[in-house]
Amino acid sequence: MEKDSRLLSIIKEGTEDTFAVWKEELKNVFRDGGVVIFFFLVPLCYPLLYAFIYDNEIVREAKLAVVDQSATYLSREFIRRIDATPDVQVIGVYTDLEEARRRMDQKDAYGILLFPSEFSREVHTGRQTRLSLYCDMSSLLYYKAFLLSATEVSLDIGKEFMKRNEPAAFTEASQEILVNPVHYEQVMMFNTQGGFASFLVPAILILIIHQTLLLGICMLGGTAGEKRRLRDPSPPLSFRPYSGTLRIVLGKSLAYLLLYTVVCLWVLAVVPRLFSLPQAGDPGDVLLFILPYLSACIFFAMTLSGFMTSRESPFLLLVFTSVILLFLSGISWPVEAMPPFWRALSYVFPSTPGIQGFVRIHTMGASLSEVAFEYRLLWIQAGVYFILACLNYRYRLIHYRPDAFPSSAQR
Amino acid sequence: MNCYDIARREIRRFAGHPVYLFGILGAPLFCAFFFLTLMGDGLPAELPAAVVDMDDTPVSRNLVRQLDAFKETRFVMKTHSFTEARLEMQKRQIYGIYFIPEHFSADAITGKQPVLSFYINPSYLVPSTLLFQDMKTVSVLANASVGLQKEMAAGQTEAQSMAKLQPFVIDTHALGNPWFNYSIYLCNTILPGILQLMIFLLTVYSIAMEIKDGTAREWLRMGNYSLTRCLLGKLLPQTLIFTITGFALCAWMYGFLNFPLHKGWLPMLSAMFLLIIASQAGGVFMIGILPVPRLGLGLASLFGMLAFSVIGLSYPVSNMHPAIQSCANLFPLRHYFLIYVDQALYGRDWVYSWVQYVALAGFLSLPLLIGSHLKRALLYFKYIP
Repeated sequence: MEKDSRLLSIIKEGTEDTFAVWKEELKNVFRDGGVVIFFFLVPLCYPLLYAFIYDNEIVREAKLAVVDQSATYLSREFIRRIDATPDVQVIGVYTDLEEARRRMDQKDAYGILLFPSEFSREVHTGRQTRLSLYCDMSSLLYYKAFLLSATEVSLDIGKEFMKRNEPAAFTEASQEILVNPVHYEQVMMFNTQGGFASFLVPAILILIIHQTLLLGICMLGGTAGEKRRLRDPSPPLSFRPYSGTLRIVLGKSLAYLLLYTVVCLWVLAVVPRLFSLPQAGDPGDVLLFILPYLSACIFFAMTLSGFMTSRESPFLLLVFTSVILLFLSGISWPVEAMPPFWRALSYVFPSTPGIQGFVRIHTMGASLSEVAFEYRLLWIQAGVYFILACLNYRYRLIHYRPDAFPSSAQR
Repeated sequence: MNCYDIARREIRRFAGHPVYLFGILGAPLFCAFFFLTLMGDGLPAELPAAVVDMDDTPVSRNLVRQLDAFKETRFVMKTHSFTEARLEMQKRQIYGIYFIPEHFSADAITGKQPVLSFYINPSYLVPSTLLFQDMKTVSVLANASVGLQKEMAAGQTEAQSMAKLQPFVIDTHALGNPWFNYSIYLCNTILPGILQLMIFLLTVYSIAMEIKDGTAREWLRMGNYSLTRCLLGKLLPQTLIFTITGFALCAWMYGFLNFPLHKGWLPMLSAMFLLIIASQAGGVFMIGILPVPRLGLGLASLFGMLAFSVIGLSYPVSNMHPAIQSCANLFPLRHYFLIYVDQALYGRDWVYSWVQYVALAGFLSLPLLIGSHLKRALLYFKYIP
């Protein structure tokens, strides 16, 4: 009986303490301008900025210079058709390659298409003819636009050309079969126009959540670290000597979780809608997936926050990792082509399974069972980092108390 | 009491400060190691794909073998239904699906024009682009080979038949990077981008710490209250170390890995040096307009991170909103990128690049604009924790 009531009172006290810590941490966050910037302002503006930068999705009207040494009806027809494709714009037709090169040097064009002088003659005498396409490789999207449009036009004109040249004995249909015995179709799944924003922005959204949580929590940790070093007489938690590590860790993480639920609503639900990114996923699945992701991020950040000696050091230590984390996630560089060492390292960060899972659920319409590996990994990360965060705060409590917590003993 | 003393004081300051050293040396070199080893050969090979072969005849199997022979494609699975393959795609076991319909070979020979379908997943842009090229090539070849058989059966030579089936062939010349090496494509800009980010951060950090530690007046006094002298003394040691790091990056890329360097070392080394001092000037400007440590650092990190998207590395600037196109010029990295494309990648005439060099040098005027504001902040601002 007595044991029972003692347990009850511990639970009651624990819950009260947890919520007191929770409240205190919320106040801490709002009192700190730097943290407010990273918890709210950055997640508010950054996604908009990125979506705005990539808003045009695909390269349209890439500028192409044409060198037409053949100057025949056929080559002019070819040029007219290429110009008519949505992806390519012909900026000028020149007779001499040097001239076109100069246009490329001046960045008026990003590619050159060359019709050799024997172009028309070869085709008309029944030989294959070769066109040369020179592409600027400073951006791969130009290359893609030029190559696809030129190939498309050459196949079309080739077909028509052949039909015209076949003996009249053939019917229209049999000519078509002769030219094209096999059809093929290409289908872009999930991100149907192959857009750049639809590819990159979902990954960036998840990364923004990861990095702002990391920076914000580490800044708070750095502030605590400074106080510790300066032997600040005011204890970190002002009104009561909370003894339990668990209460502190739970209370603080609940505060972050609450704030980031709001942030996630904006970043993951409103922003994709504003910029009409592909949203094939079931909102319930997204929600279930984000819960372990947020927990893993929060506990990971709380673990790291113990190592921050000043509130400015997180900037120098963490900001540049965003670029690395994006590449480690396997969204732009395929994991199959990653050296095993980097692949192993990528599992340390919640962003890797977070980005993989979110993109697949949100853009590709996968259900939780298709992202089971990532989902489990996130829960494992959340568990491991929870324990590490507890150890970290335990260590801090023990080392903080004797000299800097003199008043707590009397209270 | 001159620049030299301030420089010595600065070196002492960061010698006792591991975070400082990490930012100035550790982070850029770690990133160089990361990116240059991550991409290895520069082109992913053996990307997993699935084939759904509903036909299952020697003809269709031959098609699959042809595709498998490409360096980039490897068929890891053969599924019996499309749904099964789609689920594997959603599990990210594969990046593409090649679908051969039932009765494919019979239909092809009897002139019923069967349809080959290939499905790629642009949510993974690089692997899907590579698979797309291979699958398209094989489909065109499949078309040609069926046609070729028929034409040659009708008594034509192979050359004649090919000219009929495919009168135009397009030879592509990928200028500057014919190997499609992603490492060349990305590292040349990402690594200087990281350097720029770290310079922004460290410049802001080193000045902000004077405000925070309350040593700003002492620092100004050492330079006889001349901000120019103070800043030179403080930033020159950093310039030196960053220049060594920057040149080491160049040596690694152009010397050791033999990335294209058509105009020799001078244009790139000078561009690297200008990028470094332009970024330092940018950093001074940032702490000048927001002379509070946390805000200044926040600005530096946001601006520095944005550079990677705005400079047009993966997505061309000419395709962005006009407002963003002009904003891109506010980033030293953008000018560096243009110099690299012209000088290192293509070896263009110097005429096309001098504007970018001047623009980089132009960033050096930024501290002049903000000088008096910064000095007032250093003298009178009190750090509130």
